[in-house]
Amino acid sequence: MAQLLINGIVAGLLLALPALALSLTFSVLRFANYAIGSYLSCGAYLVYVGNVGLGLPLWLAAGAGAVLFAIFAVAIDWLAFRPLRNRSGVILLVASMGVAIALENVIRFFAGNSPRAYAVAVARPMRFGDIRLNHEQLTILLTVTASLAVVWIVFRFTRLGRMMRAVADNPDLAAVRGISRARVVAYVWLISGALTALSGVLVGLDANVEPQMGWTYLLPVFTAAILGGIANPMAAVAGALTLGIAEELATLVMPVHYRMIVTFLVMVALLLVRPWGLFGTRWVTK
Amino acid sequence: MMVYLIATLTVVAIAALVGLALNPQWGMGGLVNFGLFGFYMLGAYIAALLTVQGLPPLISLAVAMIGVAAVSAVSALITVRLSEDYLAIVTLGFAECLRLLISNETWLTRGMLGVTGIDRPLQGWWPPGWSDIGFLALALLAVVAVYAALQALARSPFGRLVRATRDDAGVVEALGKSVLGVRVRVFAMGGAILGLAGSLHAFYYSYIDPSQFGPIITVYAFMAVVVGGRGSNRGVIASAFTLIFFLEGSRFLIDFVPGLGASELAAIRLFLVGVALVALLIFKPDGFGREPRSVLVNDPSSPSL
Repeated sequence: MAQLLINGIVAGLLLALPALALSLTFSVLRFANYAIGSYLSCGAYLVYVGNVGLGLPLWLAAGAGAVLFAIFAVAIDWLAFRPLRNRSGVILLVASMGVAIALENVIRFFAGNSPRAYAVAVARPMRFGDIRLNHEQLTILLTVTASLAVVWIVFRFTRLGRMMRAVADNPDLAAVRGISRARVVAYVWLISGALTALSGVLVGLDANVEPQMGWTYLLPVFTAAILGGIANPMAAVAGALTLGIAEELATLVMPVHYRMIVTFLVMVALLLVRPWGLFGTRWVTK
Repeated sequence: MMVYLIATLTVVAIAALVGLALNPQWGMGGLVNFGLFGFYMLGAYIAALLTVQGLPPLISLAVAMIGVAAVSAVSALITVRLSEDYLAIVTLGFAECLRLLISNETWLTRGMLGVTGIDRPLQGWWPPGWSDIGFLALALLAVVAVYAALQALARSPFGRLVRATRDDAGVVEALGKSVLGVRVRVFAMGGAILGLAGSLHAFYYSYIDPSQFGPIITVYAFMAVVVGGRGSNRGVIASAFTLIFFLEGSRFLIDFVPGLGASELAAIRLFLVGVALVALLIFKPDGFGREPRSVLVNDPSSPSL
């Protein structure tokens, strides 16, 4: 049971970064980015190139890959989403689906379809009494906690964080107060691109690096973000942890390959009962 | 060549049906159905499994249409308390779960092995050797019937209500119409057409397995509607033709470009489809077709609702 809880927390932490990234862009731009799964895969592959192609150690490759992909995320916004910003959110949804397909096939073109793994030494899991913890799980735990702490500090204590919260709260009022929306949007994409790329590396460590990896994470990431209340970035983390533990506990009664069905059921129940999220406030309208 | 042409035309007819199914939902109603491929898959599986059990194909087709319509309506009901944006993730989640269930519940669907030996409807009607042409005629007939039904719908008061809901749900609500009711009915309608298209897919290939159905079907359908012009049924049919001929035609590129494997080519094709979708939304948002003339809602010269 304790083991399941630990596994659930790690699974939740894997979801936490992309869920945070998703709800960060949602809170500022009011559109749900369906390309986030492809962002995750792209980040994982970029880091793979650094790690296996150039022979860098994984932490260095991950850092460089996250920065590089953060810039890509801004570029994608400029090319695809910015020209559509003044149109209805539904159009942006469809555009993000187009971006998702395009990115996934860039990967398939260069890397093919076969799964790959990072160059890391295989180590025996550590034991604490009855509980086993992989080195990968430990890496996930530390990386995600550290990234979350950084984002939280930026969000809470810096001028940039205040600007982001202001734009999320009321873009017109923020504009009147002299906050440049374009700059805030660029920073939001930088942060969410870096977070998503980093989570791609962690997912790749936990399983494999393959073109489909991001797509399978799409539904859980959305569910985690909705659980937290989609416009509330830090609550998305709590949503991710809740979902990770729920998925893991559900394996007691359901086959493991039906994880996604558990996720879907959680989402449906949530949308019917508490659409503003477990931790969010009631802002959603019909 | 003739055989190839007939095969391509049949694929076009099925793709046109899928595009037409999305048109009332997204084109007229502004509802994003990313799970379209799941409903299509459900239609194919209902028709296939019933036909294999010995039911006449036309009856299985009818059951598939009703079944998919009902499931679509229910999935629209899930978003009862929310704006239409949430339909996108709900339908996508539904489709992914359905694919997972169909791949794993081998006792019912034979899983990844797939369902084989699906009979086509009205097999006995055609002389031997004419089966494919007969089936093509049937598929084209389905396209014409669906087109006529959707045209009638677009001109009906309900069609105007659907477009009004897309343009401003608040106004529709204020006028005492039920936005949720519109959403559910439009989804049921699209579902019935997807059930039809899925059944035809199963009959045509006479073999289905889960790998034939993926999100790319959804992307093609959106592509068809965006190119054809949202709400324009004629445009959607024309663009389904163009799209499939372009995709089929690009197969021959392998012969001309050296060093290009089948999987690279597929990747390039899908990359271009994604890029084209975004580019069209940016530069040509209304597509190349037009909504039927009865759309006065968008016309600045007509009095507003």
